[in-house]
Amino acid sequence: MLRDITIGQYYPVKSVIHRLDPRLKILASFVYIIALFIVKNIQSYIMVIGYISLMILLSKVPLKYILKGLRPILIIIVLTFGINIFMTQGEVVFQRGFITITREGIEMAVFMALRLIFLIIGTSLLTLTTSPIQLTDGIERILNPFKRLGVPAHELAMMMTIALRFIPTLLEETDKIMKAQMARGADFESGNLMKRAKSLIPLLVPLFIGAFRRADDLAMAMEARCYRGGENRTRMKQLKYHSRDYIAAIVILGFVVSIVVMRIL
Amino acid sequence: MSNMVETKELIFEYSGNEDERVTAVKKLSLSVKKGEFVAVIGHNGSGKSTLAKLINGILVPSGGKVFVDSMDTVNAENIWNIRQKAGMVFQNPDNQIVATIVEEDVAFGPENLGIKPEEIRERVDDALNAVGMYEFRGKPPHLLSGGQKQRIAIAGVLAMKPECIIFDEPTAMLDPSGRKEVMEAILRLNKEGITIIHITHFMDEAVNAHRVVVMEDGNIILEGNPKEVFSKVDKLKAIGLDVPQVTLLSNDLNKEGIKLSKDILTVDEMVNELCQLL
Repeated sequence: MLRDITIGQYYPVKSVIHRLDPRLKILASFVYIIALFIVKNIQSYIMVIGYISLMILLSKVPLKYILKGLRPILIIIVLTFGINIFMTQGEVVFQRGFITITREGIEMAVFMALRLIFLIIGTSLLTLTTSPIQLTDGIERILNPFKRLGVPAHELAMMMTIALRFIPTLLEETDKIMKAQMARGADFESGNLMKRAKSLIPLLVPLFIGAFRRADDLAMAMEARCYRGGENRTRMKQLKYHSRDYIAAIVILGFVVSIVVMRIL
Repeated sequence: MSNMVETKELIFEYSGNEDERVTAVKKLSLSVKKGEFVAVIGHNGSGKSTLAKLINGILVPSGGKVFVDSMDTVNAENIWNIRQKAGMVFQNPDNQIVATIVEEDVAFGPENLGIKPEEIRERVDDALNAVGMYEFRGKPPHLLSGGQKQRIAIAGVLAMKPECIIFDEPTAMLDPSGRKEVMEAILRLNKEGITIIHITHFMDEAVNAHRVVVMEDGNIILEGNPKEVFSKVDKLKAIGLDVPQVTLLSNDLNKEGIKLSKDILTVDEMVNELCQLL
């Protein structure tokens, strides 16, 4: 049952966006987030909508699938909307008792909610179109120049890789331990929250012990294969920018520049 | 021919509390020639896994010396050369695969050695072909069977171009078909000239070796070609080791008065002998 889990939310289709260099995608998401926070007027929002719609269209990820990702943060969006609409001072358009709604409040609330929605859509587009392996690779290469400043780029990437590698293994082990405990009468499903949490102890203890043993084994196996940290290490797969990456970079740059220009004007 | 691996009066103590100190290897001297296939058998706690780790330089001897291709494992300068020359495959297939994609894992060793990307690609493809796993190169390892995972681990070592591979009970956690896959890969590698030290407690796997070394309580108690070693059924049984089933059968038949050769190791040989009786 646990064999076919997908890690992250990668949506495997072939599209231009999927094929873009992960470094570019990570940097583009970064730039996009910053751009979102400079946006102040309706024209710029239309610009953002146009940009993100284009990206969604090109990524071939169904819109429904992307919108599903918004569900968990719905409360936050509603909350932000509420706070902004009631708390902003300005020209009163509606008043009853202690509730006052101002024109500026409505504007602010709509903008903030939209900003949040676009933020989530934009960043989930990154994880939807980039596999965890590519993401790790991209992060390592982006952080590489900062190694001299003490950023452990290789170590971070190695940790992420190993974590990704062992998630399915540990899930399988959890499944096995659960079944073994259930066969001996353990009950994981009934009772209140406290009782259920308590029943997890006989599951977690062997799982952790197993994980530590695995870590020990893995460290030994890595050393036996001459692993000595990131120094002098080469990589088989080199990331290379293709012409599509340059085109994408120009599009993103164009987008950011026009957002900035609109803000200044 | 020179020796690939040589140990001289090797001693290893696991440091615990004062009174709990365990000597796992006691004055063990063993030499393995280049291209040889040596099987090391012995039951749990006989010190055979410790020996493997000493050869690879994961453990440092408490006394005596280990030489791999004439390099001393105590000398820290040699350690990476030794590990490149004498690769190691461990027991648990899950705990020695590092990467999330098969080919990335095979590339792990050569990447550590700082080899150029184009050459790594070549080595990875060659290594995967050598163990018959090329078509699985893009798969995540957790979707493979135990035998397949173990073959990936072998490919990972092969990609480092070793001269010797130490197998530390590589089949202990596999099902019979996985064991067969791995054994076939090991035999093929040996034919291509790679020195093999195969630690196992399956006697059937030792039958194919050039030489069998029996370990008990940290030392070698019996050594010789498989026929010599396994013909000593009573001695092996006395220390709690099995002999291959057919050897046991021929031994029992001999006791019953049926004259069979005492060094039968495989089913084919048994069939041959029995047919001659008729």
